[in-house]
Amino acid sequence: MEHAYYFWWALLWIIGWGAVGGIVTPRIYSKKDLDVSQAALAGTAIGAAGGPFALAPLWYLTPRLNWKWVVVPGVVILAIFAASFAAADPNNLCVTNGPFVATQVTNGLIVGIIYGLMALGLTLIFSIVGIVSFAHGEFYMIGGMAVYYFTVVWFPGMSPFWGILLAAALTFALGAAFELLFLRVMNTGKVERPDEYAILVTFGLSFFLQYFTLALVGANPKKVQRFLDFPAFGLPSANHPTVLKVTSSTVNLFNTISISSPRLTAALMSLVLLGLLLWFLQKTWLGKALRAVSQDRAAAVTGINPDTMNTLAFGIGTMLAGLAGAALVQVFSWVPWVGTLASARGFVIIVLGGMGSLPGAFIGGLIVGVVEALGAGCVPDPQRAAAYIPAYGMVILTLVLLLKPTGLFGREL
Amino acid sequence: MKKKLLLISLMIMILALTLPAVTVLAAPPTQSGGQDYVIVADDWLSKLADKFLGDILSYPAITYYTNQKNAEDSSYAKIKNSDEIEVGWKVYIPSKEEADAYFKKQVSNVGAAGGIKIGALAPLSAPGSVTGGTAMKAAFEIALDEINAAGGVLGKPVQLVLVDTEGLPERGTAAMERLINQDKVVGVVGEYHSAVGLTAKEVAHANHMPTIFAETWNDKITSVEYPEVFRIAPVSSEVAGVDAHFIQSLGVKSVVIMTENTGYGIPAAEETTKRLADLGISATTFSADLGTQEFSSIIERIKAANPDLILVLLTGETSYNFEEQAAEAGIGPQDVKMICNQVADDSDSFWTNVPDGKNCFYRRVGLPRALYTDATKAFVAKYTEKTGKTSAESYAMEAYDSLKLMAQAINEAKSTDPDAIISALEHISYNGALGTITFPYGTHNPIPAGTDAKWWHQFPKPAITMVQYQEKGQSSADAAVVFPDAYKTADPILP
Repeated sequence: MEHAYYFWWALLWIIGWGAVGGIVTPRIYSKKDLDVSQAALAGTAIGAAGGPFALAPLWYLTPRLNWKWVVVPGVVILAIFAASFAAADPNNLCVTNGPFVATQVTNGLIVGIIYGLMALGLTLIFSIVGIVSFAHGEFYMIGGMAVYYFTVVWFPGMSPFWGILLAAALTFALGAAFELLFLRVMNTGKVERPDEYAILVTFGLSFFLQYFTLALVGANPKKVQRFLDFPAFGLPSANHPTVLKVTSSTVNLFNTISISSPRLTAALMSLVLLGLLLWFLQKTWLGKALRAVSQDRAAAVTGINPDTMNTLAFGIGTMLAGLAGAALVQVFSWVPWVGTLASARGFVIIVLGGMGSLPGAFIGGLIVGVVEALGAGCVPDPQRAAAYIPAYGMVILTLVLLLKPTGLFGREL
Repeated sequence: MKKKLLLISLMIMILALTLPAVTVLAAPPTQSGGQDYVIVADDWLSKLADKFLGDILSYPAITYYTNQKNAEDSSYAKIKNSDEIEVGWKVYIPSKEEADAYFKKQVSNVGAAGGIKIGALAPLSAPGSVTGGTAMKAAFEIALDEINAAGGVLGKPVQLVLVDTEGLPERGTAAMERLINQDKVVGVVGEYHSAVGLTAKEVAHANHMPTIFAETWNDKITSVEYPEVFRIAPVSSEVAGVDAHFIQSLGVKSVVIMTENTGYGIPAAEETTKRLADLGISATTFSADLGTQEFSSIIERIKAANPDLILVLLTGETSYNFEEQAAEAGIGPQDVKMICNQVADDSDSFWTNVPDGKNCFYRRVGLPRALYTDATKAFVAKYTEKTGKTSAESYAMEAYDSLKLMAQAINEAKSTDPDAIISALEHISYNGALGTITFPYGTHNPIPAGTDAKWWHQFPKPAITMVQYQEKGQSSADAAVVFPDAYKTADPILP
């Protein structure tokens, strides 16, 4: 960075005035006997965005605060952040090269959608069964392995569609069986400390599945050929594809943004699954029953068996992880320990989005995807840019937890 | 309840910490010579140890010497388990000096029943390279079978104690300590990751344990000139030199190095950058953690840098992920000159994971196929049969040679004494899969002034060649050798 001081001063401004706003605003609001529920958050955002120039009128006028008072300053903060970065490093590709930024954001969104699918299962299990499954990454791994073994080893030539369905069935069955055998006992009162028990037993399952798979399939990385070869065409015409150019392996938008077809397939699959899941939860009797149990186990009085719902929820959760794996085994090389990092990222996403919130998991996935892509794309030092990838999500997570401990879409306590 | 648990575990920890101190501070010896003793009721070994040796923790010495005597004279008892003794058994209680000798391992660890134990290190679980580790394990097993089929060492069977290092530096320390203190091995071989080698060598040095590193490239492993540490893998800076000269021969002006954030990747990238700069070639380094899957952001940056050549120093499946994603984004080996990682040598795995990898160059350590010795051919035959692979990777050959080398050194030393083994290794000439291994510089022949310290206890001539997959799906055995000219079988295909 040529003029790094611009950036660091701007950051200091944001943090310093944000802290002042966050600490002082609730006190002023409570002194005036006003609603303080949003005061800390909005105060921080307004302070960070406008400093004393925004805080003084806010403290004087003390308007009723709602989410708009957080979102608008939030956008201003992002603008200050971006402008100071541009001033500090005017030759950075993220500043000079629009198509580069567009490509990075698109990549981030695509990957974020897939992260979201993985996190969706985790958050579903948390909201209904009430435990954090540490074995989630392993079901993700098994989903990918199952597609590989079904479509490449056991039944060569089998359509990936059937492979994915079988992988989904397998991960659902494994998850449901595990819930029946090991987790149901938590609700019988026979386990003294159910929370710790759930952590230990899912941890154990995670190790077992990972090393058992390693013993079964070995350490050699596996990969499946891309599921779909796209038909080649162009828009507006095949000879001058200025808007859209599709080849069997890539999709190219406006001649600048290119997305490989396996990624696009995986992201589309995730969107379809998200739609199906929402439909299932909102429109079907079973889905409504699941949501009822997630709100209160006393739903039993209406004839819903909460134990069955737990089994179903755990199975669906593990199946979603398996489907995420099944979608990605054509994108990444697949090894038995592939789930470890993925599940760590899943935890970040669901805490970020609010534990138990389905839209939160999805939006959280998008945020983590984009932040990782921009971080790796824009951090000036090429040696550090990608090495810090796991840290970018953590920074966002820390900020959110500091300002809104329930996560972006968490239920207010 | 929690507090109670915490207290108990704290007490156990404090106890565990003070135990070694207790043994040092124990009472002086009450007996000067060893003696026979017949077990009476209410005896147990640690009680006898306390009574005769002044230290309850000395009981393993009683077990050991009694079993030694039993081998010669059956009137002595055979103690299978130190916790179970019977009234009327005759045991031998060693003198304090004998007991000390036992604990300082001056007595050879070769029991009458057990064989000679050699330790081995390899990464068998993530984040280490499990691919590398499992290949090394298979090679160790082949070497072990051959050694024992040929009568073992010093007339006793060899037992291999293989410990998983997970590619983590701290596990390297722990694994080495376990091998030395718990398994009481006489020598240690193997390891894949430099980061592990760097910490393990410190433990080897502190405990005077002869060690042969198989696939750890970092210069510092030998340049510290530890008398115990030997290496048959190439030195990182020399490999960087080969890379740089090959890159120069292609007429390249700018290079992007994609490396891993490890004890191997960072120094290797730095060394290569330096060597390239000397040849007037500019290089930019990008690095990522081992295990990274998603490279699209970095690939866009590399694309924008528009290099003439990409050098991949990532290892394992991480390298496959990068190479295939680069190809999907239009900067694969068919678009830009690319030196893929050496794990590409496992061709089945490479083509499964990098189907667009045609025209990949990669570096191969070990003799070119045309120069294979009988030992190489024999090993490759056994290895391909055992693993189902089409050829043997360099790290498999190195693992095999490191164990056979250690066995030969112990035989030539005619003892398991560390100094004798080290001396034998310094004078050794061993014919194996990598060719004839010697260690020209060491205590017997100090490094001359002006020569780099990295040559200490270093096998100077592991052959390094550049090969290229010139057809899709090609077996690594058929890959064309394109550099250096001495071994060349075909011209490089350039994009």
